Amino acid sequence: MSRGIVALVLSTLILVATQITIISPLRIAGVVVMVVWLWPLALSLTGSTPFAVASGFVAGVLFDAHSQTPFALSGVVGALIGLLVSFLAREGVGDLDAAAWWVPPLIGAFVGLLAPLLYVAFGAVVGDSSLWRASVWPMMLVNAAAFFVLVRPLSRAARWVAEFGGWSRS
Amino acid sequence: MATARSRRRVVLVLSGALLFSVVLVANGGVAKGLSASARAIVSPFTWTINLVAHPVAHLFAGAVNYSDVLKQNEQLRAELGRERLTVNENSALRRQLAQINATQHLSYVGALDTVVAQVTANSPSNFSASVTISKGTADGVLVGMPVVANGGLIGRVVSTTSTSATVLLITDQTSIVGVTFTNGREHALVLGHGVNDPLGASAVQISSPLRPGSIFATDGLAGGQFPAGLPVARVHTITLTPGTSTYELTLKPAADLTHLSYVDVLIWEPAT
Repeated sequence: MSRGIVALVLSTLILVATQITIISPLRIAGVVVMVVWLWPLALSLTGSTPFAVASGFVAGVLFDAHSQTPFALSGVVGALIGLLVSFLAREGVGDLDAAAWWVPPLIGAFVGLLAPLLYVAFGAVVGDSSLWRASVWPMMLVNAAAFFVLVRPLSRAARWVAEFGGWSRS
Repeated sequence: MATARSRRRVVLVLSGALLFSVVLVANGGVAKGLSASARAIVSPFTWTINLVAHPVAHLFAGAVNYSDVLKQNEQLRAELGRERLTVNENSALRRQLAQINATQHLSYVGALDTVVAQVTANSPSNFSASVTISKGTADGVLVGMPVVANGGLIGRVVSTTSTSATVLLITDQTSIVGVTFTNGREHALVLGHGVNDPLGASAVQISSPLRPGSIFATDGLAGGQFPAGLPVARVHTITLTPGTSTYELTLKPAADLTHLSYVDVLIWEPAT
């Protein structure tokens, strides 16, 4: 197994475990901050679309295994976030990691706002319309604020993983 | 610049992932198997992080909240004393009620055996209201059994292993509980609206003598998921929209779902 994949698998497993044991119980205004959705965004900033998409999907699937929600739905949202941010980096504002300091937090806030909505929409696509009954607004706002703050430190962690795995663009 | 080929590849992977999830949702059994495998993969990591993080978190919380903990301890002692008194007063009445129910061939919740379990984890997700408890099939806990705590129904068992079980709380978006009120004369459904939202109720006619604080209890109708008489929720707000013949209600769970430490699983299975 290549060093890159080992780094990716290990970092994803540690992230999911941290989400479940530490971050999920620390609810902010009753809302869980979904770091498993922020991770693919942070990985996208390192410049690797396949790793960001794969890690987003696997982290979401592993997270869903601990919850009574449709299995793999968080994974689909995670993969989509990795893909969208990678496309934005390539086709939109350029090298996000080297962009002005406020660009990644702003993108993080936008992704935090969008992600719960995507989750509910995909839930309806796979036949679980009960997800609409939850209040999505607080989830969107809290995740947007948390992603705004956390995207920088997490992208630094993603850069370490990328350097260790040998896929960093620097 | 991304090549068209790599873009196609990523779109293909994503479509595959979406299809994969659709298939898994459609095949509950496969999803359960994969879910158990995924939990097993993550468990050594969660165990390690728990081992490191919990003592630190407890130390920090204990240091910060020490005076609150002492105060809470005194309150709990006083509460325990009052509850003991109530239990003693009620035991004779409960025996009488059980005897009357037995002569009328009615089921009586107080006569059901229970399994006491500790809550070991809360749902990590925003979209699911559930808890994991420390007892499973090895202790007689089966899927479908009602779970009570803190003065009311909290939910029902939805999955089990030999040593643990998952309880879907009444606040979960998928939860629907058949209830009765005004001494059993009227029926309604109590609907979960998510972890952070009050419970809702199906249409209740304005002729119903409801007021804030009225208790809704399980109706125990034939084929229902719960035995009769378990307190489910209290009426919180009553709204009457002009021109309609029904109330809009918001309800609060009868049990305090925010502080669940120990729960009782009722050894009762819904009729199939």
